[in-house]
This record gives sequence, structure tokens and C-alpha cells, in this order.
Amino acid sequence: MTEFGQMPIKQLRELIQRRDASVTEITQSFLSRIRQCDDKIKAFLTVEEEPALAQAARLDRQLASGESKNGLLSGIPLAIKDNIVTQGVRTTCASRILENYIPPYDATVVSRLKESGAILLGKTNCDEFAMGSSTENSAFFATRNPWDLERVPGGSSGGSAAAVAAGEAPGALGSDTGGSIRQPAAFCGTVGLKPTYGRVSRYGLVAFASSLDQIGPVGNSVSDVALLLQAIAGSDPQDSTSAARPVEDYLSEIDQEVKGLKIGVPKEWFGSGLDGQIEQSLQAAIKKLEGLGCSLLEVSMPQTEYAISTYYIIAPAEASSNLARYDGVRYGHRSADQKDLDSMFKSTRSEGFGEEVKRRIMIGTYVLSAGYYDAYFIKASKVRTLLRNDYLEAFKKVDFLVGPTTPSLPFKIGEKKKDPLEMYLMDVYTVTANLAGIPGLSLPCGFSQEGLPIGLQIQAPYFQEARLLNLAHALEQELNVKRPKLPI
Amino acid sequence: MPIGTREVEKIADLAHLKFDPQELERFVGHFQQILEYFAQLEAVSTENVESAHQAVEGKKRATPTREDEVRPSLPVATALDNAPESSEDHFQVPPVIE
Repeated sequence: MTEFGQMPIKQLRELIQRRDASVTEITQSFLSRIRQCDDKIKAFLTVEEEPALAQAARLDRQLASGESKNGLLSGIPLAIKDNIVTQGVRTTCASRILENYIPPYDATVVSRLKESGAILLGKTNCDEFAMGSSTENSAFFATRNPWDLERVPGGSSGGSAAAVAAGEAPGALGSDTGGSIRQPAAFCGTVGLKPTYGRVSRYGLVAFASSLDQIGPVGNSVSDVALLLQAIAGSDPQDSTSAARPVEDYLSEIDQEVKGLKIGVPKEWFGSGLDGQIEQSLQAAIKKLEGLGCSLLEVSMPQTEYAISTYYIIAPAEASSNLARYDGVRYGHRSADQKDLDSMFKSTRSEGFGEEVKRRIMIGTYVLSAGYYDAYFIKASKVRTLLRNDYLEAFKKVDFLVGPTTPSLPFKIGEKKKDPLEMYLMDVYTVTANLAGIPGLSLPCGFSQEGLPIGLQIQAPYFQEARLLNLAHALEQELNVKRPKLPI
Repeated sequence: MPIGTREVEKIADLAHLKFDPQELERFVGHFQQILEYFAQLEAVSTENVESAHQAVEGKKRATPTREDEVRPSLPVATALDNAPESSEDHFQVPPVIE
């Protein structure tokens, strides 16, 4: 770990502004950490070493001549998940089908980061098209958990979470369709936020399931995540589903008192299937909330047991439609095995997609096909309404919900890969926030006996990110989790 | 609802995918297992429940419609940069008509 490795972004900003460290020095130090450990962790698919240093030198010159724009993230190097398009920088979605794709435009979040002065360090590994919970579904290689290289970092934004945890980047962006930011954040001991659907523009996020996808930040602390959200949030004419609501000031509200808040603890989230060490760590953390003056209330989320089925019908249905665009015509891989247009489509897609992506396209096509549409897709869409109603009812009584992010500790590489359903069940505590559209955040609440991170999840009503970050920050301070020494 | 090889092949055709016999066998197994799990939804009463097709609905959504105005788009040459095959200002595909 280098001297800047776990430093809060705010502190890095101050060093730069006071000219105590140059942007080049800071960027160089993260690049050298990547060189030192990424052959073992494998968080990055692309490292933008030269462009990052050139941009750092430019910012240093501007600082020296007093022309610096002093943006929110001026001089901060960041990692971006490889399903978010970056102009001129290869964006693969960890798929063979987009192996050589060079986007002709920036995603809105990328433009916003650039406007705020951030530097692109590189693109991070993920499950192919963000479909997975372990980053083992990357077509290129699996990412490893920095806390134990034999274990998965979670997924699908495993590269982003591992990079931040290992000190290869001070912050990163991921995407969350069913837990893909929160679950890897929990597995890697970092903080991850899935904002309310519509809070952050999805323009330039390669579509997986359009009614569920949302971009969000991963960081070492709640305040870093707040700072990153501040830079990317807001409506965008390029994404008609982005919300036209004003963006709150996340940082100024972060230190407010949390006394008097009502916290709901859903009884269904603590049932069988939850790892004993996680439960113990969570119960201790939840007690701390009482210590902060919050009151705890047991609530019920009766549809929880149907969440996985509902999600794994709706998300693949949307994916099967979204991924129809990969046909070898306009971009991406095209098979040489072709007799006519139809065989070109089939060969291209069969060669270009990995097993899990094919499985989800198949499930999606099946649940949307004539004869099964009502039984599966419409049924799941109705259960989605019931699931959302659970939240609306709960939020009449309480301000937030708190519970686990994951049912298990980070598992071994290869352990669940052969059984897709077992892997899907890992998402039980995260998919509901996507189905309802509400925000959720995972923060570390402790470490297991084996030295593996444990995540706690807080969920909030629509567009309550400011209060959510406020509560998470207060709990983070109160918990003051003692981190073991990172083994790498 | 059990699903067999022929049905999986039909779905693959609709999805423009093809599988070799070994892959197909594995797929059918996983497919059956997943559909059996989905069957739990039959127990949920959804009478008079509306379908949800959007993440955030009602006033909270606050996503206004806009005028359909013509705006600048990618130059043709840029749009063709990633094409596996192109000719002049077109994407090129295998012959469709003999």
C-alpha cells in the first residue's frame, strides 16, 4: 500500500490544492500500486497509464499558473467499470463480443467526472455484461479478493471494489442491477452505493436490464462515496429516465445528528441462510444505532422469499431484448462462419457471448415467448408491485431499513460457478432495492474470524440519498471498524 | 413445467443462439432447475395487482417528456469505425437476397 492508498479523497484534494503533492505524484503512486499488485488481483482490464500521466501533468501546469478550475475531483485518479463507455478507450463489458470496441462517445457520468477534474486511471473487470455475482464470468479472467486471493471479490463490479480495497484507485464507479455495487463492496470491505433509479444518468452505461440498472460509486469511506455521487448525480437530457429533481448537497448534510431516526429491521432478512458470523456482526452494529439515539423497529417484508424468482425473470427478460443488438453488424465481433445473414447472427452471438450471458438471454427469451409470457413475465411484474408495496408500507413506519448485504462471506473461486441457481441466491438481500427502485448502501461493519469483510446494508426511500449518506457516515464513525492488515 | 431439449432448441433459435449437444444438455438441466424454482411464484396471489414495468412510478418518477427535436448525431465515418465490415457509408452484411 502506498502513502496515498487509503487516504480520503478530500485529503488528496487538500494536498493538491496546498501544492503539498502534485497530481502527477498522486497519479504515479496509484499506477505503481497497480503495477505492483494487479497481476495478482486482476482488477483492471485496461490501464490508461500514459493518458492519465499526461492529464496529471496538464492539471499540474494549470495549478502552477493559477488557471486551475478547482473542480470537485480535480486531480483525483479514478477507475471505471468496463461497461461504462469511455470515448477512445476500449470498453469491453468483459465480453468477447466487444473485445475491440472503442466507443465514439463518453457516458454522461464519464463527462461529468472529467468536467470535475478527475483522471481516468483505467477500466475495471466485471462479470460479462454485469451478469454475475463473483466476477468469474468475465470473458478474460477472474478478479481476486484482495483480502484473500483464493476468494471472489463479488460481482459484477468486482474489479471496481477490488481496486479500491487494494489501494489501486481512491474511488471507482460501478453499476448495480441486482446488487452489483453493494455485494462486491461488502465482499471487499469498501463502501458502495446504488442510488435511486433515475438519480444518475444511464446514458453510456451498456444496457443489461433497463428498468433496474443504475450507476453508482465505490469508495473507502461514506464521505468519498458522497463526493463521487455529488459529481455524477443529476438529470440528463440524454437519459429520459433520469429524474428532473434537484441534486442535494450530500457533503454538507453528512455530519448531521441522527438522533430520533426510526430504523426498521426486516425480520425476513435474518432468517435461515444468513451466515452466523454475519448475523452476529450485524446485530452488534445495529445496537450501535441505538447508541446513536435511533430507535429500532421490527418490520416485515413478506415478499422477500419471492425476490430472486421475480428478479431472475424480469432482468433476463430485459437483457434478452437489450442484447439483441449484438449481431455483428455495427460493432463488435463478427463470426467468419457465415453462409447468410441468419447464420452470421447465430455464429457471431454464439462465439461472442459467454455461458452465463447465453443462459440469461435464453431465460429471458423463454419468459417472454408466446405461451409463457403471462405465467412468468406478467406474474413477476405483478409480484414486483407487491414487493414495492412492502417498501412503501415499511417506509410509512420507519425512515430506513437495515440488514445484511450478503447471506455469506466471500466464497472461494470456483465454489459456486457450476450451480447457477446457487449463485443467484447470493443476491437475495440486494435485488429488492433494484426491483423497487430505491437507494441502498453497503458499508463494512466488521471482519470475520478468517479476516474477511462483512457488509451492512442500509436502504432508504426514493431520492433520500442525502439522509442515507448521513446515517451511514454516523454509523461508520461509531463502528470505527478495525481493519486487519491487507495481505497484499 | 418441465422443459425438454426440443423446446430449448426452439428458444435458442428465437434468441439467435446455437449450442453443441454437450452444451445443450447442460443448458436443459440448468433451465429445468431454474424453472422449478420460479414455480414458487404460483403461490403468490396477484389477483387485482397491476404489473410494474418501471422502477419508480407516479410523482416520484419526475421524468418529463420532451419535444422530439432533431439534434446532431455521430458523423457517419465515426459510426462506421467499429463496424466489422463497411463499404462507403454503409454497414456491410452477407447477401440477403440471392
